[in-house]
Parts: sequence; C-alpha cells; structure tokens
Amino acid sequence: MDYTFQFSVVFRELPYLLGGALVTLQIAFVTFWCGAFIGVFGAVAKVYGGRFSRRVASSYVTFFTNTPALVQIFLLYYALPDAGILLSSMTAVLIGLTLNAGAYLTEILRAGVISVRRSEIDAATALGMSLLQIVVNVMLPHIARTIYAPLSNFFIWLVLGSSMAALFGVEELTGRAINISTANLRTIETFMVVAVIYVVLTVLASASLALVGRVAFRVRAKVF
Amino acid sequence: MKHLEIRGLSSAYGSVRVLRDVSLDAGKGEVVSLIGPSGSGKSTLLRVLIGLTPPTAGEVSIAGEKVNYRNRRSVKAVRDRMSIVFQQYNLFQNMTVLRNVTVAPIKIKKRPRAEAEEDAMSLLERVGMAERKDAYPDELSGGQQQRVAIARALATNPEILLLDEVTSALDPERVNEVLDTIRALTSEGITMLIVSHEMAFVREVSTRIAMMDEGRIVECGSPARIFDSPTKARTRDFVSKILKH
Repeated sequence: MDYTFQFSVVFRELPYLLGGALVTLQIAFVTFWCGAFIGVFGAVAKVYGGRFSRRVASSYVTFFTNTPALVQIFLLYYALPDAGILLSSMTAVLIGLTLNAGAYLTEILRAGVISVRRSEIDAATALGMSLLQIVVNVMLPHIARTIYAPLSNFFIWLVLGSSMAALFGVEELTGRAINISTANLRTIETFMVVAVIYVVLTVLASASLALVGRVAFRVRAKVF
Repeated sequence: MKHLEIRGLSSAYGSVRVLRDVSLDAGKGEVVSLIGPSGSGKSTLLRVLIGLTPPTAGEVSIAGEKVNYRNRRSVKAVRDRMSIVFQQYNLFQNMTVLRNVTVAPIKIKKRPRAEAEEDAMSLLERVGMAERKDAYPDELSGGQQQRVAIARALATNPEILLLDEVTSALDPERVNEVLDTIRALTSEGITMLIVSHEMAFVREVSTRIAMMDEGRIVECGSPARIFDSPTKARTRDFVSKILKH
C-alpha cells in the first residue's frame, strides 16, 4: 500500500468536470420532463382507457421496465442507423432515457391517479363543484402529494442513470471523468472526486425537492 | 306546499333495485329521520336527493320546484339549496379546516375570501372547532372532523340538510359532541333529513320518523308512534331489537 494520492491534477480539471455535471443535470431534466409528458398519457390510458389503449400502454411499460436502460439505448444507437435513422449519441441517449423514464413515470402517475379518494369527489360534487373545479381543487393536489416522493426518487435515479451516456461518448460528468483519467492516469482520484460531485448533485436535488414537498404538499421528506 | 316533496322515487344499481317507489315529504324546518337496517336504501335516498346517484323513476320537488336530475343546471340549483354530511366526513385532506369550509363559498358561490372566511369562522365557532382552523383533517379526531364537515355543509347556507349516519364511524365517546352540534341546529329552521342508528337521539329531535326496509318506506309517523305503537310488524321487529340494547 504505497500508493500516494495526488488530487491536484484532478482539481485542476474541476471547472471541466463541473461543466460535465451541468450536462448531467440537463440530461436528467430533459428526460424527466419528456418522460413525465409520456407518463401522463400512459397513466390516463391505463386508468381510463379502453381495452386497446390499455394494452398499448401496458406493453410499453412492460417492455421498458423489464429491460435495462442501457440495452434500450444500445438498440436505438446501433439498430436505428440500419433503418436509415442516424442519431447523434446525445440524441440516442436522450430518447432512450426518455422512453425508459416514460414507462416508470406512467406507473408512478397511475398510482397518483388511483389515490384520489372517491369520497372526496362525492363531497366536492355534492357541494356543487364543476368537473374542472374538482380536478383542480381536489384531484390534482392528491395526485401531486402521492407521486411527489417516488417522483423525487426517480429524478435522482435519472441524474445517476445519465452516466450511461458516457458509454456512447457523451461528455457529461462520467464521460469527462473518463477523458481526464485516460490523460492523467489518476483514475482513482478522478473518480473519487466525481463520486463526491454526484453526491453533491443528488443531495442538492433531494434538498430542493424536499423543500418543494414541504411547502407545497405538506410532505415531511427527509434528505438523508 | 311542502318544502321537500318526494313522489315515487326509485333507483337501481344495475339490476338491484335499491329504492322502490319512495314517497316522503318534509315541511319547512321539519326534522325527518330515516331508520331501518343496513342496505334498506336510507343512504341511497339521500344520495339520489343531492344528485350523486341517478334516480330511475319518480319526482322530487323543493319548495314546489320540480328537480330534473338529468339536467346539469337543475342539479346545480339543488346543490345550492341542499347540503349533505357523510358518514366518513369526506373532508378534503389537502386543505386546512378553514379552507374546507370556505372552498365552496369562494369557488362556487364566488364570494369574497375575507367575507367567506369571516362566516366560516363563526360556523367553526358554533361547532367548537374555531381553534383548529389551521389544522389538517388527518390531525383531527373523527368527531372533530365530523364537526368540521357539518360546518362545511352549512357554509353554503342550505335550506335542506342531509345527514348520512354522521356518527356511525365515531368512537362512542365522540358521538355526543356531534349529536350536540346537530341538536343545536334543529332549532334554526333548516329542514333536515337524518339517517341514523342513534335511536334515542332520533326520537328526541325528529318531528317524524320513516322506517325503511328493502328500498321501501314501511311506515312513517311521529316518534312516539314509530317507537311505542308501530303498526307494521317489520317496524315492531326492528325497533324492539334495537331498543333492547
């Protein structure tokens, strides 16, 4: 054990790594919101849809939650060019992660929709609320409250999962770490620093999400 | 003219006929109670009246105005004049006590917030819940929640109040606080339809009692008649079983 740590070569590259962290957050953000968009339709289809749309939504969710995200991105990246669709590595990653996120978010949102209590809808109806007023005042707050915690977890998962993009040459946090370590040969130090940056990212994300939860949904979420 | 008039009302869930040809009326400020075994259609009658369950036949009039339960505007007009309190309170879990009481006046009756809150506070005062105005329903006991639910139902100034087994889900110790609240309301000229298993209470506050069984009204009369000298065997049987306890 006579390995001497040398962090200075890594610290020199900190701005470069932090730039990568920004790309990581961008990937997480884009895939999260696009996935949520898909998830709304998926959840509505699964809860209120007819037989056909329920089956389509179920097949989609089953496929994307039962195969690794990495395999899905590989398929997109290497199979689509054969069909004449050329995707940049970043686009392939974004589409792959979005489809994956859409499947998980369908399930999370579905849980939210079915959490609305029939009795509160009855009460709102009896008070004379219109359908729109019931959705806005009674249903949405419930849905938001129920899905808020799994949604936060899933966002964290996306922040970490976006590291898969490095395998396709996307220069996000992990990708840039690989770049640095192949140049400075300080792999251990580089990835230790990167691990700390990931922790900081997720703690910041958890803390801000916990704050949103506490203020908006009265959920006492713990950061740790 | 009766305040509330029900003629030949029927309702069904699929092929199950839950209400069969029910006729009943209530004068202004009258307190009419519905008693009978579970599944006899008491709660369904209240749900049909406020438009939560569609009737299959029959007529309902309020102060001489006929209600059309297939017409949205007509149902809205009914809900403007009538309120219901449920067995399970059905408070909005995501709103504070005060907000539960003000949401209908503000959103539906379009009243200014300050004014609605002032009225809500005096209602909460009446049901003894003013101090808990900022609490959420899950921080309250069942009895407290039910008192808030009563305040919420009164916030729209109903002429007719429907009470659907409002004490059935409560701990025995909490029953009286809710019954006291209702008792205080009976002298305020609100027409009430009460579904309850609290026989002593029903006997004390009702002007008339209707005995229901299998979706029908078996017998209707003064409390003394229903409890002391019922004419129908079904009523006699039900009353004797319940009063034995």
